[in-house]
Amino acid sequence: MHTFLNDPVDVTVDFANKRIQPLSIRWDGKTYAMKTVNLVHGAREGSKRIFYFSVSDQTNFMKLRLDTETLEWRLIELYTD
Amino acid sequence: MGLRRGPKNTTMNKIILHLDFNSYFASVEQQANPFLRGKAVAVGGKGRGSQLERTVITTASRQAKDIGIKTAMSSIEAKRLVPNLKIVSGDPKKYSEITKRFLSILKRHCDVVEQFSTDEAFGELTYAAGDYFGATMIAQIIRAEIAEECGEYCTVSIGIAPNKLVAKLACESQKPNGLTVIPPDKVSAFVATQPLSAICGIGPRIESRLANIGVTSVLTLRKISLENLRHEFKSYGDWLYAAARGIGDDVVVDGKEAPKTIGHSYTFPHDLVNDVEIQTNLLALCDKVTWRMRRDGFIAGKIGIYVRYQGFYGRGAQKNLSEPFMDGLELFSNAWKLLSTIRNKNLPIRLLGVRASGLIKTNIPAHLFPKQNKVHKTLKALDTLQTRYGAGVWMRASTMNTNFYERTSGWHYDHEI
Repeated sequence: MHTFLNDPVDVTVDFANKRIQPLSIRWDGKTYAMKTVNLVHGAREGSKRIFYFSVSDQTNFMKLRLDTETLEWRLIELYTD
Repeated sequence: MGLRRGPKNTTMNKIILHLDFNSYFASVEQQANPFLRGKAVAVGGKGRGSQLERTVITTASRQAKDIGIKTAMSSIEAKRLVPNLKIVSGDPKKYSEITKRFLSILKRHCDVVEQFSTDEAFGELTYAAGDYFGATMIAQIIRAEIAEECGEYCTVSIGIAPNKLVAKLACESQKPNGLTVIPPDKVSAFVATQPLSAICGIGPRIESRLANIGVTSVLTLRKISLENLRHEFKSYGDWLYAAARGIGDDVVVDGKEAPKTIGHSYTFPHDLVNDVEIQTNLLALCDKVTWRMRRDGFIAGKIGIYVRYQGFYGRGAQKNLSEPFMDGLELFSNAWKLLSTIRNKNLPIRLLGVRASGLIKTNIPAHLFPKQNKVHKTLKALDTLQTRYGAGVWMRASTMNTNFYERTSGWHYDHEI
């Protein structure tokens, strides 16, 4: 099941080797511990830099959007096998 | 493109690398989402969710290709063939980042790099590698760095040869994940083993014309004299004669040329019938074109318009204007007049395209009259807004109902232009 969302989420991250790694995501009253960061890509919205994190655990794929200006995280895609 | 240029006479054998991603968009999607790996996946052209039911397949995963899914197939046809095919919406921002990453890796290792498409590039290794052994080592390093920086699911095929034609042919000969090295003394024998359709520059039409004169393979093509090929194909005969012998362009060109035209076209999700719908969409296209002109510092003196109906029948026209323009409304009013002269009003419109040419690099010229100056100031303010906040920050009230979905494929990504 593939769902497109735009929900604000709380994300716990690790800063290591000049990289940000999302560790867990708090969404809809539940906490999801992420196992792997599969891809990180950036894009510009005007002069604003946005980063997208494609992360997954054993059963879910999540795409997160980080707005570097507001430091707001949003869950924008959820895929469950 | 460069491959179709005539061969250059160079005094030394060059070493050219051609790199091509395997099932590019699908592999990137499988890299991002591990639950798609190993499955028949296709990437749709535009839109998402229910819009994917009426899309065109831009890329199929290796697994999907194995069971008959092809690029440009309609999603309806693909689903009929493979009911459990997973069609995902394309994400151009993701693909453009991977394109930038692999080009940056190539630039680290090659003397010169020429981008050939979103997922293909040529690199010259003559000085960086020195010989074919060195070139093979560099190719392996490039492949490892791509796995590291783009993801291990993003695999590439690489061909190395003395020119671009044979490097691309070598690259295509072994997929996925191939590395094919053709040194100069092996070129002739290698090309002879390849099907005519594998040669970049021989499409279905040329292949069919060749078949009409009894040419069905590289070996039979070699038997045709240059005079006969010229007689049949005019100047293209020279290129065919050289290609059959593995002789091709070996000049890798870096850098971008200044644009000659700036245009935008769009295939609509449903065909346009009434004038208001056509006008609002044309105006939105004109705003996109003129924004890019102003952003890159151009004014234009010529416009072009193209319309395509159902059944892929289309018509185009162009016109010189008495005054240069850089405002979407000015472009629209001229484009609408031009469209009205060529349009068949009985046919619904499937695609509209508008283009500005006769480009002159200059700042937005100031006008003599107060009304024009007001427009000039407004445009400047709107451009400042768009530079700061991105596309979509403003639109004309009349274009509020237009919505152009980002295209997945093509030479440019929509969010970058």
